[in-house]
Amino acid sequence: MITRNTTIEDLVEDYPKSVKYLADKGIRCIKCGEPIWGTLEEACLEKDFTQEQIDTAVKELNALHQEGNQENSTDDAQHITIKKIK
Amino acid sequence: MTINIQNVLKNLGLTETNLGVSTGAEWFDTDGKINTSSSPVDGKVIASVKTATLEDYEKVVTKAQAAFKEWRMTPAPIRGEVVRQIGNALREYKDDLGALVSYEMGKIFQEGLGEVQEMIDICDFAVGQSRLINGVALQSERSLHRLSEQYHPLGIVGIVTSYNFPVAVWAWNSALAAIAGDVVIWKPSSKTPLTAIATQKIIQNVLKENKVPEGVFNLVVGRSSVMGDNFLGDKRIPLISVTGSTAVGRRAGRIVGERLGRALLELGGNNAVIITPEADIQMAVMSTVFGTVGTAGQRCTSTRRVIIHEDVFDQVKNAFVGAYEKLANKVGSPLDEKFLVGPLIDQHAVMLFEEAVSKVQKEGGKILFGGQKLEGPGFESGNYVMPCIAEAENHFEIVQEETFAPIVYLIKYKGDVQNAIDIQNDVPQGLSSAIFTLNMREAETFISQTGSDCGIANVNLGTSGAEIGGAFGGEKDTGGGRESGSDAWKVYMRRQTNTINYGAELPLAQGIKFDI
Repeated sequence: MITRNTTIEDLVEDYPKSVKYLADKGIRCIKCGEPIWGTLEEACLEKDFTQEQIDTAVKELNALHQEGNQENSTDDAQHITIKKIK
Repeated sequence: MTINIQNVLKNLGLTETNLGVSTGAEWFDTDGKINTSSSPVDGKVIASVKTATLEDYEKVVTKAQAAFKEWRMTPAPIRGEVVRQIGNALREYKDDLGALVSYEMGKIFQEGLGEVQEMIDICDFAVGQSRLINGVALQSERSLHRLSEQYHPLGIVGIVTSYNFPVAVWAWNSALAAIAGDVVIWKPSSKTPLTAIATQKIIQNVLKENKVPEGVFNLVVGRSSVMGDNFLGDKRIPLISVTGSTAVGRRAGRIVGERLGRALLELGGNNAVIITPEADIQMAVMSTVFGTVGTAGQRCTSTRRVIIHEDVFDQVKNAFVGAYEKLANKVGSPLDEKFLVGPLIDQHAVMLFEEAVSKVQKEGGKILFGGQKLEGPGFESGNYVMPCIAEAENHFEIVQEETFAPIVYLIKYKGDVQNAIDIQNDVPQGLSSAIFTLNMREAETFISQTGSDCGIANVNLGTSGAEIGGAFGGEKDTGGGRESGSDAWKVYMRRQTNTINYGAELPLAQGIKFDI
């Protein structure tokens, strides 16, 4: 689960869709090809997010991750079916 | 030449799952997250690494502290002998390690070999330096007093490296730190942990044979939640060397500064080449193209901007586009020697490249060549792009930033060379710079106090591809640190001033009288 204290590196590695979401909000997670250091909260504060906006970002990132999981499990199911047919 | 990656992994002692913590010859099983390393070349998983926990980090620091007490007592030339043997071990594994660098990071095999050669070169340099850790004799104002300075080992050196030079930067720091009598803790990039593990395995026999204490050469693969602010803020580590982005460096500088530690920062660049009307244009273009597309534009010293006099602008622009057209069919697998430009590190990097291409156009720039993500056979990983040339102006927001990808901005200047220098210096970063001219006045102006404000200023050669013999680093947002050659070794030592009174009197400095 993503929280305010989740590091940007963990977001990049474990929840890669976060990168695009945050980029659209002006937060660049990757610089010189590497994740920036620090937490989601710190990155948001640096961009002058309000506390409310940070809460929203956390909520939306978790929702995004949930969607991703559902898509993946559908993909996995399809993959298994294809394997079985073969 | 065909490279069999499975053989490379086997020769380097890598397996499906690897331990990520070592204090030299010993390796530790850990309970941290398991990270997988995938190749940007084909997107395949290469192998996994068991990363460190905070407890593992503590164990390593404790071991390093104990090792330092022993290592600092080993004579410097004996420490140098160990480094000499490390250099020889790297020679033995140059092809395999070079291939792994290429496969895990994406640079072409020739550059992978070059990176290992850089490691060997700095070892050779450090061996010589181990017999020349010299202080200085000064003149005392007091009679029968001797004033001098000497250098002592500093302690634990923390080394944070980036994916683009996954092993060379470790060698720059470690070889000098080791001969200086320091011990090192290496946090490699999470993108390239396998090259780090392979390097540690290559040196471990040397350490064992020479009975180097466990804790002198430490490797800790861990995420920033384990090897992040706690590492930077650790008072037991007097020096932290960080190679990475300005954002990471700024954070490191603040945290290390708060505890009054030393930070050696080697951060981003926004490197420019100036081409004057008096340049050898063909030489300028050929040299600059390597600077723009070498390592797919992922070097700190990659050429980002080319500042061209209006009288030769069209000539240079056409020559550039012509050179890139020839390169168009040379983008591909870095392990295949017919290709000269490999992939970007991952899809995030591709996204940032595409964003930069779009942004420069929005700001009024014009794309002259490339700028697309490549698709089709050979590009399945989704990490390959066609290098881009854009005509732009220096004040564009995107031009002021460092985009870590093969995009170069051609910028026009008018009049005197000082105008070009002013444009060149008008960015936040200050790493590398170059001028192409056969005019001695222009060349000397460029390297004078009114010239380039960068740490590196070259004449008639490009911005990238530094030798290890010179000090490497830059000014402003590049962080101000210096690594590698020249007198960079001094950063890894503490300076002590000694005054010795060998007389029978007690004269005070400045002639102060204090008679009791």
